[in-house]
Amino acid sequence: MMQPSAISHQPSASQPVWSGRPRPLPLILILILISLLILSAQAFTQDKPVALKGGKLLTVTHGVIENGVIVMQGGEITAVGAASSVNIPTDAQLIDATGMTIYPGLIDSETNLGLTEISAEAMTNDLVELSEEIMPHMHTAEAFHAESALIPVARMNGITNAVVAPEGGDTLPGQDSFIQLAGANATEMLLIRDNAMPLNFTGEQRRNKGGFEKQKFPATRMGLAAQLRQAFIDAQDYKAKWTDYDRKKADAVQNRKTEPLAPKRDLKSEALLPYLEGKKTIVLAAESPSDLQTAVNLANEFKLKFVLNHISHSQPVLDYVASLKVPVIVGSIYEAPKEDERYDTVYSLPAQLYKRGVKIAFASYSAHNVRNLPDQAGFATAFGLPYDEALKAITLNAAEIWGVADQLGSLDVGKTANVVVANGDPLDVKTDVKQVFIQGRAIPMTDRQTRLRDEYSR
Amino acid sequence: MSTRKLALQCVCLAMTLAPAFAQSAAHHDVLIKNATVMTVTHGNITNGSIYIKDGKIAAVGETVNAPASAIVIDAGGKYLTPGIVDSHSHIALDDDVNEATSPITPQMIMKDAFDYQDKAIYRALAGGVTTSLLLHGSANMIGGQAVVIKHKYGASRDEMLFPNAPGSIKFASGENPKRVYGSRDQLPSTRMGNFAVQRQALVEAQDYMREWDNYNEKIKHGDKDATMPKHDLKLEALADVLRGKLMVQIHIYRSDEMLTEIAMAKEFGYKIRAFHHALEAYKVADQLAANNIAIATFSDWWGYKQEAWDAIPWNAVMAMRKSVRVAIKSDSEDYTRRLNQEAAKTMRYGGATEEEALKMITLNPAWIVGVDDRVGSIDVGKDADLVIWNGYPLSTTGVPEKVLIDGDVYFDRAQPGLGTTHYKEGE
Repeated sequence: MMQPSAISHQPSASQPVWSGRPRPLPLILILILISLLILSAQAFTQDKPVALKGGKLLTVTHGVIENGVIVMQGGEITAVGAASSVNIPTDAQLIDATGMTIYPGLIDSETNLGLTEISAEAMTNDLVELSEEIMPHMHTAEAFHAESALIPVARMNGITNAVVAPEGGDTLPGQDSFIQLAGANATEMLLIRDNAMPLNFTGEQRRNKGGFEKQKFPATRMGLAAQLRQAFIDAQDYKAKWTDYDRKKADAVQNRKTEPLAPKRDLKSEALLPYLEGKKTIVLAAESPSDLQTAVNLANEFKLKFVLNHISHSQPVLDYVASLKVPVIVGSIYEAPKEDERYDTVYSLPAQLYKRGVKIAFASYSAHNVRNLPDQAGFATAFGLPYDEALKAITLNAAEIWGVADQLGSLDVGKTANVVVANGDPLDVKTDVKQVFIQGRAIPMTDRQTRLRDEYSR
Repeated sequence: MSTRKLALQCVCLAMTLAPAFAQSAAHHDVLIKNATVMTVTHGNITNGSIYIKDGKIAAVGETVNAPASAIVIDAGGKYLTPGIVDSHSHIALDDDVNEATSPITPQMIMKDAFDYQDKAIYRALAGGVTTSLLLHGSANMIGGQAVVIKHKYGASRDEMLFPNAPGSIKFASGENPKRVYGSRDQLPSTRMGNFAVQRQALVEAQDYMREWDNYNEKIKHGDKDATMPKHDLKLEALADVLRGKLMVQIHIYRSDEMLTEIAMAKEFGYKIRAFHHALEAYKVADQLAANNIAIATFSDWWGYKQEAWDAIPWNAVMAMRKSVRVAIKSDSEDYTRRLNQEAAKTMRYGGATEEEALKMITLNPAWIVGVDDRVGSIDVGKDADLVIWNGYPLSTTGVPEKVLIDGDVYFDRAQPGLGTTHYKEGE
């Protein structure tokens, strides 16, 4: 079983990345140098310490440091502070980041990265297995396409980590993965396999399309709920059966009797067990107040540990949401209001949740538009969400929700060196990301789109 | 009384009167003062004022002469821009976007499906959109005739139609027509089929025109035995394309298809007003510029289908630098609510200036729609379609505080719902 602490740093390889210089180089020269040197997919390691000097550090956990220094070594952040207080290792590659804003790599709390390439081309999509509704034994990690052209496009804007989830067409569409958007292969990028599991209850999962003649079970919410309940009960029974078997087997061994026949394995039930045991997180998706409450009741019935997802149209019951004391992956805030809702109902949802003490995170719910994740956080501030909370919702809050806050989500010593260097406010749409570091390594700032741009700019 | 209080009272007065304005032709004079006016055509005016008379911009500058009777709106130093023009929208048409029963349906008139009570009109208004071009979809090679609306939500259907806007017709190309008809084993199922269908329709329109010309000639010479040809709405509409009476708006992605459409237009002697989507415009920008074809494009959408695979966010600015007139449009009920952000992305991707970016959602789309002499910039004589923003409009956080159309306030953030049919004072 994969443990949630699987973020590891590979041992150092010998390929030189930085050409050592005594003086800081202008960032742009460094960037050119990097793009010339790093083009092959080698094991993902940082070879040489890097120090970024003179930038404005948005630490997330301990405020803003003007004229700061951040040192990355062995894939980790080894120093953060004011320029005057940080000792830069003598062998470090020193980069002048004056005028730049530096912040932790952004975390997108729900994407379809690696599961799709071209939306309309069916053969490039592995988004959701719609043949049945209860599919907890589907593992996004097993479809994740590490070489997807979409991943460099997303990370170019500073998104360094993401949850990969199946699309929401099933009540239990399968298990998520927590990824890093760089690495030599899928194994390196899949930091945590099966980190969480969506449970979708938005009505969309009903098999009620195409009139009565085409409907099949479950065509109603009652059907969806009954089917879910049965699935969890089956898993409980399955567990009991194995417990019984284990007991009988131990007894047989002890008393030198014939061992009992092992029960047949059931992959669906097996997949549900860590969730029934509260070891892993269910991502509970609902939109309306009624669906939300039905879903929460169901989760409580089986004592599931959960976070909420979407709840875009649950404005009337936000106090109830707050009383659940669970985080919310919110929106997206671009979700259209319903007929009777104010034009800004969904825009202001993050602020309304924050006001009630609910921890929120944003998600692009996308694959091609993952790069626009920070726009959503910025837009929420125009509708009342404090700036610091908006930034946390795509960094530290997300890291906490996904159980990786000891490694990601802020500029702190000991954390993974996922660091973004940009020419301004990370939440503004005009800001250009100049360099992204993942595990301390400067990733090449090129993707399919920059290559096309350059080809046609000659 | 403090200035602030006074301003507030004036604003409230303007708001309470607004719905009444909307119902009648009589406009009150309005003076907007203390605004950072982004004119789009002649720079920014800090501390600027605009005098609105009869729904039109009567004066703009650092100081303007306005009668004391004018309603005063103090913009409090905030940014003021022209209303946003969305040159590619399908809102307010319910599901009547595609008459996908034949690949050639130029006789479809979108006005006939215009649902003036669609709340999407109001939500776009809340994002600063004052004019939209509502187009037929892209299932057909030749779809239908567009309608131009002003987002006067709460007004009557006819009041929402942009008066005397020139006609536009929607053409399409590429994957959508071939997918729709190909899936039914009908023509077209390939790009060859697409263009053959289009050419056939235009040839028929030429024949139709000749028939009528011939008949009219005979009548003119007193031939009483001449047989009148049949009136055919479909061919009549296509004849209007050939006569240059309808502006041709083409849904298109791939650059090779752009070149084919340009050649086809030359073959039949009509002009193409704009390529819509045009995600590969950057590959053939010179040819577009040479033929005075604008583009209405997305800022950064890509990869949703094969023909959008080569889309790059630098498209808009790369085309603009080759002298193509560029508009950023929504094609979306969602994105039409924040086109200012989409325009701002061009400042990042390619380095558009503030004015160039703003032009992509105001004056340039107004040209595509054919109403650039009436809206799209803050110039004397133009319609007073204006947006007062809470902050810098070309940003993520800039959202409209007030939106005026023809000098009337149709949206006020302090009282959302203003202009909606169910709005009640103090709600």
